[in-house]
Amino acid sequence: MSEPEIVPDIMRISWGPQHPMSGQTRILLDLDGEKVHRIIADLGFTHRGIEKILENRTYLQGIVPIERMVMADTPNIGLCYIKAIEEAMGVEVPERANWIRSLVCEMARINSHLYAFGLQAESTGYFPAVFLWTTVDRAWILQLFAELTGARWSLNFFLPGGVYKDLPEGFENKIIEGVNYLRRRFQKYWDAMVENYTFEMRCNDVAILKPEDAIRLGATGPVLRGSGVAIDIRKDEPYAAYGDLDFEVITEDACDSMARTKVRFREIVQALNMMEQIAKEIPDGPVRTRVPFFARPKAGEYLSRVETSRGELGVHLFTDGGMNPYRVKINSPTLRNMYVFERLAELDEILMADIPVVINSIDPWYLDSDR
Amino acid sequence: MSRMSESKFVESFKTAHGDKIESAEMLRSMRASVLVKRETFIEVAKVLRDEFGFTIPVSGGAIDYPKEDRMQMMYYLMHPEERFILIYRVDLPREDLKLSTLTQVWEAMSFHEREAHEMFGIEFEGHPNMIPLLLPPDWKGGHPLRKDFKGEGVAE
Repeated sequence: MSEPEIVPDIMRISWGPQHPMSGQTRILLDLDGEKVHRIIADLGFTHRGIEKILENRTYLQGIVPIERMVMADTPNIGLCYIKAIEEAMGVEVPERANWIRSLVCEMARINSHLYAFGLQAESTGYFPAVFLWTTVDRAWILQLFAELTGARWSLNFFLPGGVYKDLPEGFENKIIEGVNYLRRRFQKYWDAMVENYTFEMRCNDVAILKPEDAIRLGATGPVLRGSGVAIDIRKDEPYAAYGDLDFEVITEDACDSMARTKVRFREIVQALNMMEQIAKEIPDGPVRTRVPFFARPKAGEYLSRVETSRGELGVHLFTDGGMNPYRVKINSPTLRNMYVFERLAELDEILMADIPVVINSIDPWYLDSDR
Repeated sequence: MSRMSESKFVESFKTAHGDKIESAEMLRSMRASVLVKRETFIEVAKVLRDEFGFTIPVSGGAIDYPKEDRMQMMYYLMHPEERFILIYRVDLPREDLKLSTLTQVWEAMSFHEREAHEMFGIEFEGHPNMIPLLLPPDWKGGHPLRKDFKGEGVAE
């Protein structure tokens, strides 16, 4: 990136990509003393050209590279692409497969939010123990993933027309066992961290994003809901089994870093409730409609939307009747939230020391924004 | 939320501003699409924001049609109450890829226009900060998402 000019009396600090808290991006901070005057995000360190890669793969082959966008959240990403393919091919998904999809998506949401939660603890500087706790508790979900799909991270479990395999025997009981275990753990997290005085000091009233600004700047996901705007694709445009599940859109009104963290925390608790409901009420039936391996959907355009852990993901699929997609436009949630992050310094006074807290409250995943 | 809102929007939009646009249609439920002329691009965008309430900028991107000798710039907008997506499109001839920037209406389109600029070579006139977003600063390989991109000059 060619850097914008520096204003006199302003110091510019290059933060990342080697900083432990920055992730795979560089952030330029213009500092006026301790205050952040301006934030410039330098994205693109992990740009792999996924949109171009997908143009050179058949529809089924494309599922593998697109899931690499967010490793902690692969089912949600893959589902968005698969939904677009299913719409193009006119495939009906069996009901049981839809419930299994919701189950796996919610498990991935817990996995991803726990990771974000651990990083948020780490970035406040006082709670490296919490990061280790969340890592250990995530292992429970990864173990279930391994049992169900054969993989711990990149699942490739969903296929156009359903899911790859049915639940193994006794899987429902294991889910309920794990849900009960995590619920006990969550009380600990809440006491040790969210209601902890030092954590409150670091997060309360930091980087306030008012609802009207969140909408104007195009925030999405927990960032938008942390500003009190109740927008969730799972409710607005129900996919998989979300039309049948009991849940509500979680919002917090405080609009600060703490509110965004709390939204994630409460979404985990809600995801556990949904998992329990799915384990108890999942209907019987087939899990997959066969789709020809080299299918050629008819020409047209199909836009599908999914609520991933980081917000609204959109896949706009253009087909021309061939074996490969003509173009796949991916609307990534992190790219939208990074623009909000760039403008936060103008909306509220942010100190240099608060930057790790603020950026982890956005929960960016740069492989998602760079594609 | 009534399931008719997208079609209602398309009808009322066509009656009020039909002369300024090429076409307006409903793709399916929750998806509407407006194709606008380049001359009235900004004017109609302001109408959409102020009159029809499309205040949420979602995303933006382009698509290349070399056989028809045109590119299409697409902006994705969302209505905060009705929650459906509007795809706001404008066609550009391939030899004259110039467009007024939409950041003057929705400033959050900034990143998406920067991306379309480096990936497709579309010039956005009046954009406040037109620097590459994802590609390296010394990139000489052309515009990667164009259909005629062959990867020449990349591995130097």
